[in-house]
Amino acid sequence: MAEQGGLEGSQPVDLSKHPSGIVPTLQNIVSTVNLDCKLDLKQIALQARNAEYNPKRFAAVIMRIREPKTTALIFASGKMVCTGAKSEQQSKLAARKYARIIQKLGFPAKFKDFKIQNIVGSCDVKFPIRLEGLAYSHGAFSSYEPELFPGLIYRMKQPKIVLLIFVSGKIVITGAKVRDETYTAFENIYPVLTEFRKIQQ
Amino acid sequence: MATFELYRRSTIGMCLTETLDEMVQSGTLSPELAIQSMTEALETQVKSKVTIKGHLHTYRFCDNVWTFILQDALFKNEETQENVGRVKIVACDSKLLTQ
Repeated sequence: MAEQGGLEGSQPVDLSKHPSGIVPTLQNIVSTVNLDCKLDLKQIALQARNAEYNPKRFAAVIMRIREPKTTALIFASGKMVCTGAKSEQQSKLAARKYARIIQKLGFPAKFKDFKIQNIVGSCDVKFPIRLEGLAYSHGAFSSYEPELFPGLIYRMKQPKIVLLIFVSGKIVITGAKVRDETYTAFENIYPVLTEFRKIQQ
Repeated sequence: MATFELYRRSTIGMCLTETLDEMVQSGTLSPELAIQSMTEALETQVKSKVTIKGHLHTYRFCDNVWTFILQDALFKNEETQENVGRVKIVACDSKLLTQ
């Protein structure tokens, strides 16, 4: 979370957009694109660098690039999934780079229907949280089974976002298609978190 | 058994083959015993291990074969270590060879 602190230091947080004063950090973006041509995965695996292809285990070529640091799953149908980018732009740039690699190997790859499928963000409210209390008063949205998973799973309805809330005050926000949903979900939950702040002995 | 084909192509395997050939030719060893000793020696005598550490420039996994290109790699075994600017490693799962 040093990154989050650094960001706050370098430029003031827009309090009209982030009343909590905390801006969730984007950790992972998943996007998809259709290259719109059939692909010979074995040929790709043999010619491209940093590629894995084990059809017995998974029917796609797994390829990585260093900048932006991402992983792509490339399917024979021409569909591609790009994961690991830290922003929407980086995810699109990475997807374009993969498409370019496929083109260079001789396939007539296009770049159709690029779409951000999921955005994962995280932040730290820097105070501990009483998860039992939160789960009890927000029973309709919460699932807290400490024997199964130490975090509280909060399924927000509006926006439709899932939050993982941990005793430590660390929060993971997932399920967003646009980053504003991540921010809205966090601003919605923040007053609830302060309400269930754990007073340390 | 096919696994050992790989080792036979290694430096130590070549040296062993060479020595055994000499012994067979000079009559100190029967050809059958030579083949047997080769298998046994590779199975029981080769214990040296090497660790390799470097910057992974490129990797590939296709047809159950891994290919790695390392830069500034450090090869280490019990006695010595050596730096190599660029090295290509081709490896496969020995379990697949025995099948």
